Amino acid sequence: MNAIASVPTEAVVSVQDLTVTAGARTLLDHVSLDFGARSLTAVVGPSGCGKTTFVRSLNRMTELTAGLAVEGSVRYLGQDIYDAAVDPVVVRRRMGMVFQRPTVFPMSIFENAAFGLRLVHAEEDLVDAAVTEALQRAGLWDEVRAELDRPALSLSGGQQQRLCIARALAVRPRVLLLDEPTSALDPAATQRVEATLQGLKEEIVLVLVTHNVGQAARISDRIAFLHSGKLIEVGPTADILERPRVKLTEQFITGRYA
Amino acid sequence: MATAPILIGLRPEDNLALDRSGHLGRRRAFDRLVGWLLPLLFLVAILPIAWLLYYVGSQALPGFTLATLTTDPSGATGGLFAPLVGSLTILLLGTGVAIAFGFLGGLVTAEYLGEQWAGWIRITANVMVGTPAIIIGLFGYLVFVIYFHWGLSLAAASVTLGVFMTPYVFRATDIAYGSVPPHIREAALGSGARPRQYLFRVASAIAFPQVLGGIFLAMAIGVGETAPLYLTTTTVVLPPTGLFAPASALSLYIWTGFQTGLILPTAIRLAFQAAFLLLVIVIGLNVLVRVIAARARRRLEGLFQ
Repeated sequence: MNAIASVPTEAVVSVQDLTVTAGARTLLDHVSLDFGARSLTAVVGPSGCGKTTFVRSLNRMTELTAGLAVEGSVRYLGQDIYDAAVDPVVVRRRMGMVFQRPTVFPMSIFENAAFGLRLVHAEEDLVDAAVTEALQRAGLWDEVRAELDRPALSLSGGQQQRLCIARALAVRPRVLLLDEPTSALDPAATQRVEATLQGLKEEIVLVLVTHNVGQAARISDRIAFLHSGKLIEVGPTADILERPRVKLTEQFITGRYA
Repeated sequence: MATAPILIGLRPEDNLALDRSGHLGRRRAFDRLVGWLLPLLFLVAILPIAWLLYYVGSQALPGFTLATLTTDPSGATGGLFAPLVGSLTILLLGTGVAIAFGFLGGLVTAEYLGEQWAGWIRITANVMVGTPAIIIGLFGYLVFVIYFHWGLSLAAASVTLGVFMTPYVFRATDIAYGSVPPHIREAALGSGARPRQYLFRVASAIAFPQVLGGIFLAMAIGVGETAPLYLTTTTVVLPPTGLFAPASALSLYIWTGFQTGLILPTAIRLAFQAAFLLLVIVIGLNVLVRVIAARARRRLEGLFQ
């Protein structure tokens, strides 16, 4: 609130020369990319292009995998998140993450949504209000408001995934990282999650990893195309889809990528 | 909309009823055979247990009254109060020891140790499970009875039984925490949980039923063990008066009852009654394990997909 009241940068998250290696293999090769406020950036690319590694390096989840080395910088509101003085746990509370498969915990719906708040011992009234708000923003409130005490594992896959989004939102992060959040869902559930994300981009920074160009076309403002760990092209969604400047990008978005 | 008929030249295999290459008759015969065999095998498995229960019950139940549970033995007659209290006390104290070492060991092995250390500890636990109980008893005798000067006592028997039960609790804990799905761990840490918060709030919620089941299973195995107690306590006719006083146990009572019974037949009845009590406790604990497992399966359904 005090020390960095004014932010000297346009970007909420600024990635500079990010290189991630696993032994002799290079997973990400000098990637630089900024994320401004209120945006939904889709990170697309073929399997193994490094898009998951990229999104995981934005909140230091890379550190949970043994043998990964990260170089370059990731700045959150101007501060290097890899600085020795920065606690990775705190970074992950500001930049939440949603995964491919729903990852609800074996607790009630309410306690799942409240999970992040319980970690910081938030007060009870605050938890109630934040859980309600998070479930509303995740587009799940109307379906679960009457049965918040039900086990979360009894929800459908799509509902579980929106609960995971609510869980991430409840701690009011500025950034939400989504790693193929609809790849395990059916079309109807996918549509609900996409609608949720479209509503959220008015408020926070969304980084959406997807292998699905159609999804990127439907909901993103901007597309970043990764290939073999390199950022090939980035630009407004319409430009990338209609006038890609690089041949490789065109091949990928038109489905002719070999 | 009517479809125009198409003309197809028939081949021999188009006549489905004549094609015998699937050996339908042979498969049906095999199905019938298995249908008869399975209930038969079930009977073979269940009969010895049913007969054991019936026989022990028929020897123990005549003359089995409330007094059998509430009065101390007196010579070759009387009740089983002292050995029952002794058995339960030894079991509870031993379970405490087994939880202290087995649960903590399993937790550390599953969550904190590298593969190599964990591997050595798992091998050690497996060797302990395979060690004959009398050797555990001998260890208890040498270490607790002799070296620590505890004598033949409740303390020596409990700790020795605890040593015997430890690897069972260890294995249940190690497997329970090791089987928490990795994506759940990632999600918890990705939500900003500290490793310890993950361990206590998420992993334990998933692992706890299995750990509890392991503890009750260790109790079911431990309560009837005779060998760890044989060298560490001795049969007395009164309940234990302190940690370092000897404590009687049902399993020991069966042993001494039959030895005495060669001279005094009433001792045999008492031994059968002790055996019956032990069987009831063991079956009760096993049912408890089943109930815990079934409840956990319902609660965690969908988590491991």
